[in-house]
Parts: sequence; structure tokens; C-alpha cells
Amino acid sequence: MRTDRQRSPFTGAVVLLALLFLYVPLAIVVLFSFHATGALSFPFDGFSTRWYREVLTSDEFRSAFRASIIVAVAASVGTLVIGTMAAYGLTRVPQRVRPPLAFLFFLPLTLPGLFVGIGLLSWFTKLDVQASLTTVTIAHLVYVFPYFLLIAGAALDRLDIALEESAQDLGASPWLVFWRVTMPQVWPLLVGATCLAFALSFDEFVITFFVIGPDSTLPMFIWSSLRRTVDPSINVISTLLMAITLLLWVVTFAFTVRSERQRRRTREAATPGVLA
Amino acid sequence: MRDVTARPRRVSLGPIALTLPAVVGLLLFFVAPFVTFAVYSFMTSGLFDVSQPFTTAAYETVLGSEVNRTLARNSFWTGLFAASATIAISLPIAFWLRYAAGRWQVPVLFLITGTLFASYLVRIYAWRTILGRRGVLNTGLESLGLIDNPLEFLLYSRFAVTIALVHIFLPYTVLVLYAAFGPIGSGLLEAAQDLGAGAVRRWTRVILPLVAAPAASAFVFVFVLSAADYVTPEFLGGSNGIMLGVRVKENFIATGDWPVGAALALAMLAAFVLLYALVTLALHLVGVRRVRFVT
Repeated sequence: MRTDRQRSPFTGAVVLLALLFLYVPLAIVVLFSFHATGALSFPFDGFSTRWYREVLTSDEFRSAFRASIIVAVAASVGTLVIGTMAAYGLTRVPQRVRPPLAFLFFLPLTLPGLFVGIGLLSWFTKLDVQASLTTVTIAHLVYVFPYFLLIAGAALDRLDIALEESAQDLGASPWLVFWRVTMPQVWPLLVGATCLAFALSFDEFVITFFVIGPDSTLPMFIWSSLRRTVDPSINVISTLLMAITLLLWVVTFAFTVRSERQRRRTREAATPGVLA
Repeated sequence: MRDVTARPRRVSLGPIALTLPAVVGLLLFFVAPFVTFAVYSFMTSGLFDVSQPFTTAAYETVLGSEVNRTLARNSFWTGLFAASATIAISLPIAFWLRYAAGRWQVPVLFLITGTLFASYLVRIYAWRTILGRRGVLNTGLESLGLIDNPLEFLLYSRFAVTIALVHIFLPYTVLVLYAAFGPIGSGLLEAAQDLGAGAVRRWTRVILPLVAAPAASAFVFVFVLSAADYVTPEFLGGSNGIMLGVRVKENFIATGDWPVGAALALAMLAAFVLLYALVTLALHLVGVRRVRFVT
């Protein structure tokens, strides 16, 4: 294959500036999380980890962190189960059922979080459901489900259904087919999609704000510190939040790349013409 | 398309049953909440609740308010600026990633999408740290001796809100437009070049018509999410950067007038649907229908 590279100094310069624009503000937050004094301004007065010690020993931070983990685990595991079932079903339902189902499944993507938030607040009040981490988890399930489905659906959609049918014809039960034929082909992307769901939930604020009740998650904690006066510990919490979600993104990326490679290997191994 | 003619497929209820938990969940916690607040917009206000009788009073309040008109203008301009800037910056980046990046493609793509995972609130906070009166930019410029007094216009303005929104949405639109460039082979650009088209003509006659449809949907996406944002304007907007979303939030959380908040939210949604229809119509008029990509 010919790889023609266009020479394009103008767009190259835009890319460089955009990377600076994207990263400098975040780098500043990280930098000031290590500032020896509480000031959020230049000149920079030397490094210290005192804000980290302060944050990590604070009860408020710990309980918010715990709440965030509980909600994100519940939301991502819940999405893994419900979303995998939905994606598997969606690729195999009769043709005429598929468009309305897909429409319903991806509908939450089109509505800004504000509207989802006030809707859930009204609905939970109507049902007399107390706001708690459970209502937050439900809200997060609605929010992360379509993103999970985007990845899982793509993974299941490009499977060769003939493989499953052969297994079935050879006498395997649907359950066995799923675990022994389908899962080995799609699990890396499902892991990636679950990590993405976790990261999205861990970071969610816009909807959470309306359904949270007395508890506090990490984003809620940042929000309340933003409302107070300048508090250097926000830098620390922000840095930790970024580190955790970035780690999850690296895992997602790695599993996606792995699944791509696996797919390519399978393709190369297959007899030409069978998978055309 | 799969070949299913070879053998009659067994029609089974299994797949439909598998989608049931998701269908029930979304009906209960997405559709029902939406219907609830739509109905609430036609009811009478109780404090943090609603009561009978049904009325259109909330809509009269919303549409008759001078403040809301100002906030609607703010939301419109902020959405327009943020969406235009985001798309204008994303186009050359997507172009570079597709045609000029070479071995830098994967690392740069990774770097750009990596910032998707920097929390929304952290970005707002970062811009407040940078643009504030005693912020990084002002104190930095002062210690360099470039300015004597802090620049006041940076924070608490539409400028601050817009720049933070561009920062938030840029990675998404780069991804969308990069995907849009995917099927357009570089041969097409070379052909245009060989036929004598300069850089500007290659953009206006070849590239833009081919990516117009996805670029327009990315534009609407950023516009809607920006105009409906309630957090960024609250922390960076100050008094003249405040937007409609903040008002909706306050009606639900602070003042407790739910019908007015719900009516305002529905009016916003109606405006978004109208915008979407107008953009689709505009694309249709300039001849972009379903774009056929040439490879």
C-alpha cells in the first residue's frame, strides 16, 4: 500500500497549538497540586506534598471517594450485564424490531444531562423515592448505557454469525454457544466498554447533582469546593480524579487495540472467501 | 449484509427477551421522567412540587419574561461561538490526523482523546485558575512585567465560558471529524492538486462538501450541549455570562418553581429541535444530501 503523506504545515501548527491548549490548563492544575504554599498564582514557590497529605487524611474526601467507587462499580457492572444482553439481543432481533429498539437505546445520548437530571428529580419525587446513592446509580446506568452499547454493539455486530450457527448445529446449547463461541471473540471490547462506563460514572456531575441527596461523590465534592473560596486541595482532588480516569482510559485503549489485533489475526487465519 | 437465504432461521423470542431489562429500565428511568417533567410544565406550582389544576401559566411566565429573553440571547451566542470555534479548530486537526500525521497518528490521537477523561469540573476549575483576577495568566504576565494591572475582562464573561466549552468539546469533535475523513482517500486530494487546485480550493471544493454533513451534526451537538450547560456559566460566566440552563437548575433546586423550570426546559428543547431542522434544511439547500464518499 502506498502511504502518501500530504505536507501540511498549517494544519500541523494547528495541531500543536491545540495540544498546548488542551494540556496546559490541566498541567497547571497538576503543578499547583504540588505547590508549597496555598497560592494559585505565579511565582511558583517550590514543591511539597502537603496538600496530598491533607486531602488523603480528610474524612470528607474519603467518604466522597468511597461513594464514587460504590456508584461507579454498581453502574459499570450493571451496564456490563444489561448492556451485553441488550447488545446481543439487538444484533439478533427480527429486522423490523431493530430500528425502534435502537432508537430507544440511543435516545439518552441526544438529551443534555440537565434535562435527564430534572426529569429524574421530578420522577423520583413523584414516586416518593428518597434521593440516595441508589438513585445516583440508576441515573448513571441511564447515562452510561448508550456509550457501553455503542462499543459492545459494534463488537457483536461484526461477529460472523455462521460460527454461532455451526456450534448450534453441532449440538451446543445457546448458553454454551455464548460462552464458548461468542465471548472469546468479544470479551476484550466488553472489558474496554466496562472501563469506559466506570470512568464516565466516576466523573458524572451534571445529572448526579439533581438526584444525590445527603451523600457526596468526588465530583460533588469538587463542585462544593469550587463554590467556597480558593482552596488548594481542589488541585489535589482534581489531579487524583484525572489520574484514575486516565488509567481507565489507558486500559480501554489497550483492550481496544488488542481486540483489533485479534480480529486481524482471525481474518488472516480464515480461508479467503469465507469471510468476505 | 449477511446472507440468510441459505437456511430458514429459527424465529426465537430469545433475543427480544434479552433486550427486556434495558427496555424496561429506559422506559422507567428515561421516558417516564421525561414525560413527568413535560406534564409538570402544565401544572400549578407548589414549593418543590406541583399541584392541579392544569394551566399554561408557566409558559406565559417563561415567554413573557424579559430576563429569560436576555438569557436566551446569551445561550444562543455562547452556543454559536463555542460550536463554531470547536468545529473550525477540529477540521484542520482531523485533516492533519488523516493525511499528514504518518507515524504520529496514533500517539496524537491518543493524546487528544486522553483529555476526554479530564473531568468536566476540573476543566472549569482549571480555566478559573488561569483566567482569574489573581489567576495564573495575570500573575504570570505581571511577573514578566508585561502588564501592570490585572486584566479584568478574562474571567466572569462570555469569553471565559466559551473558551472552557471549546476546551471541553474539542476532543469529541476531533474524533467525529477524523472518522468523517476516514473514507475520503488521499487520492482525491492529489487529483485536485494535479488539476491545479490550490490549498484553499482543495478545502472549499473537495474537503468541505464531503465532510459538511458530519461537521454539521457535530456543530449541533456542541451547540446544544453548550447552550444547555448550567455549570460552566455559573462558575465562569459572572453576571453577564449567565445562561438559560442556570435558570432551569435554579427553578428546580433553589426557588422550587418546578412548572416554570420545566416549561423553560421544554422551550429550550423546542429551540434545539428547530435548530436541528434548520441546519438539515440548510445542508439540503446547498446540495449536501446523503454524502457518497469516494475512496
